[in-house]
Amino acid sequence: MDTEFKPNIVGFLCNWCSYAGADLAGSSKMEIEPSLSVIRVMCSSRINSNLVLSSLLWGADGVLVAGCHPGDCHYERGNYYARRRFALLKKILEVLDLEPDRLQLSWISASEGKRYSEVVNTFAEHISQAGPNSLAHNPKV
Amino acid sequence: MVNGDVKREETPMNSAQDMKNRNSLKGKIVLVDGENRKTIIDLMKQLLEKKCLDAILVPSQVPDTDSYTWLLVQEGSLLDLCDPLPPVMTVQGGKALSSLTKHGEMEANIGALMRPCEIEAVVELHKLKQIDLDHIILFSIDCPGTVPLSDYMRDPQKMAENFKESIKKWGESESLRPICQICDRFSLFPFAPSSPKSSLSQGGADLPASDIHIGLLGGNDEKIFLWPVTQRGKDLLKKLDLSVHDNLEVWESKVEEVREEKLKKRTAFHDEWSTKIKGVDNFAAIFDECINCHNCMEACPVCYCQQCYFDSQLLTLTPEAYLERAQKRGSLRFPLDTLLFHIGRMSHMALSCVSCGACEDACPMSIPVAQVFTAVGDQVQDYFKYVPGREKEESPPLQIFLEDEFGDVETPGDGLETSHGEAKENV
Repeated sequence: MDTEFKPNIVGFLCNWCSYAGADLAGSSKMEIEPSLSVIRVMCSSRINSNLVLSSLLWGADGVLVAGCHPGDCHYERGNYYARRRFALLKKILEVLDLEPDRLQLSWISASEGKRYSEVVNTFAEHISQAGPNSLAHNPKV
Repeated sequence: MVNGDVKREETPMNSAQDMKNRNSLKGKIVLVDGENRKTIIDLMKQLLEKKCLDAILVPSQVPDTDSYTWLLVQEGSLLDLCDPLPPVMTVQGGKALSSLTKHGEMEANIGALMRPCEIEAVVELHKLKQIDLDHIILFSIDCPGTVPLSDYMRDPQKMAENFKESIKKWGESESLRPICQICDRFSLFPFAPSSPKSSLSQGGADLPASDIHIGLLGGNDEKIFLWPVTQRGKDLLKKLDLSVHDNLEVWESKVEEVREEKLKKRTAFHDEWSTKIKGVDNFAAIFDECINCHNCMEACPVCYCQQCYFDSQLLTLTPEAYLERAQKRGSLRFPLDTLLFHIGRMSHMALSCVSCGACEDACPMSIPVAQVFTAVGDQVQDYFKYVPGREKEESPPLQIFLEDEFGDVETPGDGLETSHGEAKENV
């Protein structure tokens, strides 16, 4: 079944770096896993934990949050705040043992098309191996 | 009266050995006239009479009933209704006080007498800019805990009796709320909170937030201990002609003794709950009976948002979307999004959770909300090296950052070839 499983991954990409990185990867015709659905946000710090949680609970098998490298944020500090929020949410999922590895935070700059494709492909591979998200398939939830 | 001029005389110390070696705190030992309650009320009355305070917010019994509420008292004689330690926590003090300064700061000086967890909530709300503490003088009091609200409503007389008993045994009572039985912050501690602070949080000394603490432990109903924590507190006691040169050693050692017991219980609690909340089946089972009333959120002092995301229309979807979700799971459970609400709320407030238990009291289905949130809250607070409700000037962890931290949550770390290093240098 695992080989048949096509994961459904949500990617929140910041407008200024990661989204542009994705754009570059696309226009450079790099191979990118199609299982990632991209949602463009203005900054990684715009991502409320609810967005990530509802993705997971409503059917995503993985969630990628991507923003500018530390020091590179278009708004100077957004990604630092995002990192703390992400760390908190991941810790909560860890404490509750709710598959924290389905969350990933990556820094991808506008010039890193190659890094973008590597990050997405590696994450998609990891999620494929992990299988369907139990949170989204559990009728008790 | 600015709250920035607060300085503690001793240097902060952490280990138990240091605790023993340091000088004991100085304060005022007041001989009890009749009962603790009356002595505390007299003190408050004097503060009003001598115009040290314009009004004081106190927990009070509603006349001729078994209910308790908060009263903002300006007329001294009404303080007779005050009960500094009511058997129940009806409305969390932080919640009561925050409604007072909703429209900004006041000119009047207001006192507020609260349990330590309520003071901690006040401090969290202050950090979140929901309370202006400039003209508020906080009085905290040693707290044995409270009985569950629902038990009390069922049989007020009996539970009030049980509560009185529990004061004698100081917290060693099955009648108290489970969250109170494991509370290690029932008093103010000069040093050594249960988790150490580190560079992850900002702020100076680890200073309890109350201005004057009223110590009951070790007083045997014969005396109470007044510890002026801040300069404001000292000034107030001076105006009452109370010198603050008494040695508070008796209170301190009793507090430390009880605290050690409580810490043991809290550790045992974590041993038990850390497995109970683990895994989607276990966690979902805890909230099986949740009716989505959101009372826990309403009662929570640190859930301060005017419009909660989980009450908004943002979570309502089209019928097709629900059908799709039902298809994925085989069935879709109503009320919807129970776990999203609880985990989401956790991700918003767990760092500020002061384990006051208001959520659990408010739950009509008797779900152990406070215990779950404490089991998680303690762990994430440890992770962020943050102790909520202590230092007024400290920033909440999600409002600050260090440039180099939490590197382990980033993927890839150092594995993939990147221009990461360059990116940093380009700044």
